[in-house]
Amino acid sequence: MIAVVLATIARDAWAAADGATPLFSWPTEHRGLDWLQILPIVAAIPAAAILLVGIVRGRLLPAVAIAGIVFLPVAAYALGMLLIMEDSKTVSFCGSCHVMTPIVASLQKEGDSLAATHFQRGLVSHEQACFTCHSGYGIWGTLDAKLAGVRHMLKTATRSYTFPIEHHGPFDIDSCLNCHARAATFRAVDAHQDPDTQQALFKREMSCTGVCHVAAHPDEALNGPAS
Amino acid sequence: MIRLACLLALVALVIAVIVAIRPTGPNAILFSFVGVPALGAGVLVYGIKRWREGALSSDPAWNRDST
Repeated sequence: MIAVVLATIARDAWAAADGATPLFSWPTEHRGLDWLQILPIVAAIPAAAILLVGIVRGRLLPAVAIAGIVFLPVAAYALGMLLIMEDSKTVSFCGSCHVMTPIVASLQKEGDSLAATHFQRGLVSHEQACFTCHSGYGIWGTLDAKLAGVRHMLKTATRSYTFPIEHHGPFDIDSCLNCHARAATFRAVDAHQDPDTQQALFKREMSCTGVCHVAAHPDEALNGPAS
Repeated sequence: MIRLACLLALVALVIAVIVAIRPTGPNAILFSFVGVPALGAGVLVYGIKRWREGALSSDPAWNRDST
């Protein structure tokens, strides 16, 4: 069983994300085995063996019980949490939830949405496109994105979301400016040089999309999967 | 009680292994809202068992092999 699990992880690690040839799928996110996936299992296997003995016999030596019930499972969960924190940056992770599936699918379609334009022209990482634009800038942006992820999980688990889904609060345009602010083509645009527009953008009274640029995602993708 | 603690921890571990093999959104929800509480409950049940046996007291007469 252990061999099957490791073989599954190894196959996933080496496989190209979209089945493309090596040149078109470069750079690969993982080279070889993904240790973030393996280490939780390595911690879980001896713990499971101890727990099974505990269930069958109904007693365990204190040191063994503490290892099997506390230390090893907590280690497996800490490593699993690390895996989720890292993997939740990927597009495939975002797209694995029912609500987000159409939005991720729309990135691949010919269309006029800002996200699809960035994705199809390779202007954002294909591995972490959602996270790149939705995480904001710097460490606080990452923290906000993780908190938003917890909110998303809660809403998904309790099914307390409504369609069309909307962005929670104003979009953090620092994500846009992180790439665009120093680009000559961005600075050359008259509207970007206008002081009033700059103030409105910085005060979040105005967003890049809506007035000047097309919507980030197509409306039909925000209405959930077609039933 | 030790059986209950082991069972809860085992349920939590199965979920952790599922997440490690397939780290997807639904599995992350399972991990966060079922696995973590199950592990917490398992540790709590074991802690209560040990406390009732006197493991957390400073009594030197406590029999350390009481489990």
